Order: sequence, then C-alpha cells, then structure tokens
Amino acid sequence: MLRPDKGMPTASLRLGGALEHWTERHLRYLMLAPTMLILLALTIFPSFYMFYAAVHRISPNPDLPWEFVGAGNFARLLTDAQFHVALRNTVVFTIVAVTFEFLLGLGLALLLDKFIRRLTFLKTVLMIPMMLPPIAVAITWKIIYEPQFGVLNEIMFRLGLPLQAWAGDVNLAMFSIIVADVWQWTPFIFLLMLAGLASLPVEPYEAAALDGASSWRQFWDLTLPFLKPVIAIALLLRVMDALRLFDLVFILTGGGPADRTKVLSLYIYQVAYRFADPGYAAAISLFVLFVTILLSTWFMKRMRLAE
Amino acid sequence: MATIRTRSRGREMLLRLSAYLTILVALILTLFPVYWIAANSFKFDIDIFAVPPEWLPRNPTLKHYDEAFIQRPFLRYALNSLLVAVGTTIISVGFGAMAGYALARFSYPWQWRKQISFWILSTRMMPPIVSIIPLYLFFNYFDMLNTKSALIIAYTAFNLPFATWMMKSYFQDLPVELEEAAIVDGDTRWGAFLHVALPLARPGLAATAIFCLIISWNEFLLSLIITLTEQSQTLPIGIAGRVTQYKTYWGEISAAGFMACVPIVIFAFIVQKHLVRGLSLGAVKG
Repeated sequence: MLRPDKGMPTASLRLGGALEHWTERHLRYLMLAPTMLILLALTIFPSFYMFYAAVHRISPNPDLPWEFVGAGNFARLLTDAQFHVALRNTVVFTIVAVTFEFLLGLGLALLLDKFIRRLTFLKTVLMIPMMLPPIAVAITWKIIYEPQFGVLNEIMFRLGLPLQAWAGDVNLAMFSIIVADVWQWTPFIFLLMLAGLASLPVEPYEAAALDGASSWRQFWDLTLPFLKPVIAIALLLRVMDALRLFDLVFILTGGGPADRTKVLSLYIYQVAYRFADPGYAAAISLFVLFVTILLSTWFMKRMRLAE
Repeated sequence: MATIRTRSRGREMLLRLSAYLTILVALILTLFPVYWIAANSFKFDIDIFAVPPEWLPRNPTLKHYDEAFIQRPFLRYALNSLLVAVGTTIISVGFGAMAGYALARFSYPWQWRKQISFWILSTRMMPPIVSIIPLYLFFNYFDMLNTKSALIIAYTAFNLPFATWMMKSYFQDLPVELEEAAIVDGDTRWGAFLHVALPLARPGLAATAIFCLIISWNEFLLSLIITLTEQSQTLPIGIAGRVTQYKTYWGEISAAGFMACVPIVIFAFIVQKHLVRGLSLGAVKG
C-alpha cells in the first residue's frame, strides 16, 4: 500500500513500495517460512539421516567408513532380548503411570471444582511438581527412597511395615519410578481437567437437576462427554511423554536392577554411547518414532483432534 | 420433610469434609518432597540420613550452597541454563507467533493450512532420543558440540511446534475486525499483525513464553549428549554429574536441586494467571 503523504523521496518510495508490495503479496508464505525451515532442518533432515544411519554399521572409530548392512539392524530387533525387555517395560510404565495420573488428576480436579473453586493459590501450589526440573524430581525421590536412611523407610518403620530397597529392589523398582512420575505429572492432568471443567456450560446441569438426575448420573452423562476433547489431549500428551521417559530412570535406577526399569530411551542411549553402536541405536529410534507417530495419528483421527 | 433436609445437609457436610481432607492429603504429598530436598540442603551430610530423620534441620548450615555455588561451578551452569532458555524462548515465540498468525488468518491453496498445521504438530511427537544421534553428528560436523548455540537450536526444534500451535489458537480467538480496520486506515497486513494483533495477543505470548522457558530450563537428555564442558553444560547436567558411581554428593545436589526449583516456582506464582489460561486455551483447544 503506497503512502505518498509520508514525504519520502520519489525513488526510494518506488523501491520501498515495490518491496512492500512484494512482501505484502507473499506475506502468507513469508510468515510461515522461518518455522517451516527450522522444523524441516531439525526434524526431516534427522529423520532421513537416521534412516541412512540405520542401514549401516557405524564403527566408533570415525576414520573407518560406514558399512552398509541393509535391513540387518532392523532384523536384530527381532532377536534382541534386551530390546524386548525395554519395550515391555516402556509399555507397562506408560499404561500404569498414565492411568493413575489420569484418575488422580481428574478426581482432584472434580473435588476442587466442586468445593474450593476460588483458591487459585491452592491450584498453583498443587501444580508445583510439573514445573520442577525432572532431574531435581529424580534426585528428590532418590533421597526419599534411599534404602538405609531414606525417609520412606523411616515412615515404613514407624508404621511397623517391612523396610524395602525401593528403587533398588527387583520387584519394586518400576513401582518406584511410577510413583515419582505420578507425583510429577498428575498436576498436569489436574490442570487440564480444571480448565475443561471451568468451560462447562451451565444449562444442561440445571435441566438435569430439574429432572432429578443424581450427581453420579450428571457426571457420567454430562461432564465426561463434555470433557472428552480435553481428556483426549491430556492422554495424548502424557502417553507421548511417557513413551520417552528418560531422566527419572537415568538417575533413580540406571535401568536396573536386572534391567527391570530399562526403558526404550535408556536402551537407545546405552546402545549409542556405551556400546558405541549408533547404527543399531538409529534402527531402534526409528522403531520408536514409527510406533509413536502411528499411535498418535490413529488417536488424533479417532478423537477428531486437529481439525 | 424437615428430617430429609437435615439428613441431606449432614451428608453435604460429610462430603465437603472428606473433600477438604483429600485435598489436604494431596497438598501434603505434593509439598513434602519439595520440602524434604529444601530441608536437606541446609543439613550437614551426617544429618541428611540421620535416624530418626531430622524433620527440621537442627544445625542449619549453608555449607552445601558454598560447595555448589562458590567452590563448584553451579552458578555457571545456572547462567548457561538461563541463557539457553531465554534464547530458545525468544526464537520460538517470535517465529511461532508469526507462523501461528499465518495459519490462523491466511488461506492457502490445496488444503495447505490443514496439512501444515498437522505436520507442525506431528514434529512434536518425535521423541527427543530419536533425533539425538543425527543432531549429535550434525553439531559435530559443524564443530558446534559444547556450545550454547547448539542447545538453543536443538531446543527450538522442540518448542517451536508447540509455540506455533498455542499462538494459532490465540489468534483464532481474536476478532479479525480490528486488523481489518487498521488495514483500511492505511496500515499494511504486516503492520496490522505487528501493531494490532500482537499487542492483543500479549496474554498468549506470555503463556507461550512461560512454557518454553520452563521446558528449556528443565531439559536434560539433549544437554547430556550435546555438552560435555563446564562452559556449556546446563544446571540439570551439573546436578546429575554429582551422582557418581562411587559417591553421591547428597548435600550439594540438594542445594543445587532446590535452587533449580526456586526460580521456576517463584516464576509460576507470578504468572499463574497466564499459566492456567495458557494451558486451557492452548492445550484444550488444540
């Protein structure tokens, strides 16, 4: 748009005008460009590179050339017992942790929404765990779980319950990880549910109350269906994050004892850096990526999100 | 009639009481671990695992803060974290706002808008561990390992999709008429974005920035792999480095861990209104 009233010299006006005109015409692409370029460079390029790496055997010695092995690294997935353990651990962790986070988060949100609606301060306090650095959370729980002098065993002792090694115990290690994760991420579900509850319409409830519907029926027939999109988003985000669990395991158990808490991210890390086999690590990563995208696309389609 | 009313009021009271109790328990469970790391950071090593535990530090000391922040380079780590988090946030929110605005306001040929929106969100699904090996080789090739710029670039990749989506839903909620009025008054489309839409979207910008800041301040895995030197490592890596195979420096870790939480929590209280609004708009609407 030309604005000759600004008193610019004619030449620069024409030049500036042309440029402005060009920018204006292509603004829809120009505004998207930086984001698109960055994401292309940082996600599409790695994906292709990863695929390239996954069909090679890469020596830790950078001077040696990569050896083409075709589908060899993928074939290894079928027989690699450690990979199967990691996969199973990841699935168990994801299902159990997200289920508890969801039930507790929704329950708390319903309670708060019904009884103490005004106290935003209280809500913020309850949200503290999700904002903390996961590493600080991991350290905190490591101190609590410490088998000999940790505060959890002290409480067990006071209650007359048997002392446990918690994160160090073969049977309790995964449970300990889940507790820490539930502690950190229940607030996230809680927050999303509160937001969802705050936007519920009032009229259907008034109608339901007139019809004498019990609060249980109201919850089941009104609240849950209204919350469905929020629930879907919350579950999607949590499942995606649970599938890539790393920090907690890295600090709390290092994958042990006896591989009971070895999850996929940790296994990829070990394969790449401890066993110095980036080619195979790339193959496992591709598997994880494939499953995650498949799962979330299916879920988003089903829930009709992103429309 | 009267009896029924009293009975239901009694039931209501009971419900209310058990709700308060549940919330009280939730509060204690939420706060105790945070309190415990704070309390431990002020105890001497020998008192951290005292039996029975010292619920309150009996001989409070600042020894571990001295160890962590004066004798060891945790201040440096914290500064690195801050620089990386702020850098990432500025880039992500800046470009994210532009892209979000474009997706909210412009039309594109061949269903591009839908495809691009979905694609941008789908990049967020990529588990970080997946892109780490290529990113490592990439930064190695450009001699950028152990630099803060490498971290900023890597974190931007994870924050930008999220920022774009949040800003898109914000701009969609703004009435388009104000921008149209600005254009009628002689402003350009870009000018309307800059002078009208952006100021109106300030709460959205704030919420997006808060999330980018928290995510980058807390990030661990990428930093673990991309940085190895004190000059570039972030606070989470510095803390993890004190859990060694032979000894865990509990006191120092508690002090540093507590200090890593404090700015985030203070920040959260200052911006709590935006935080709730941000999540409810950005996440709920998708």
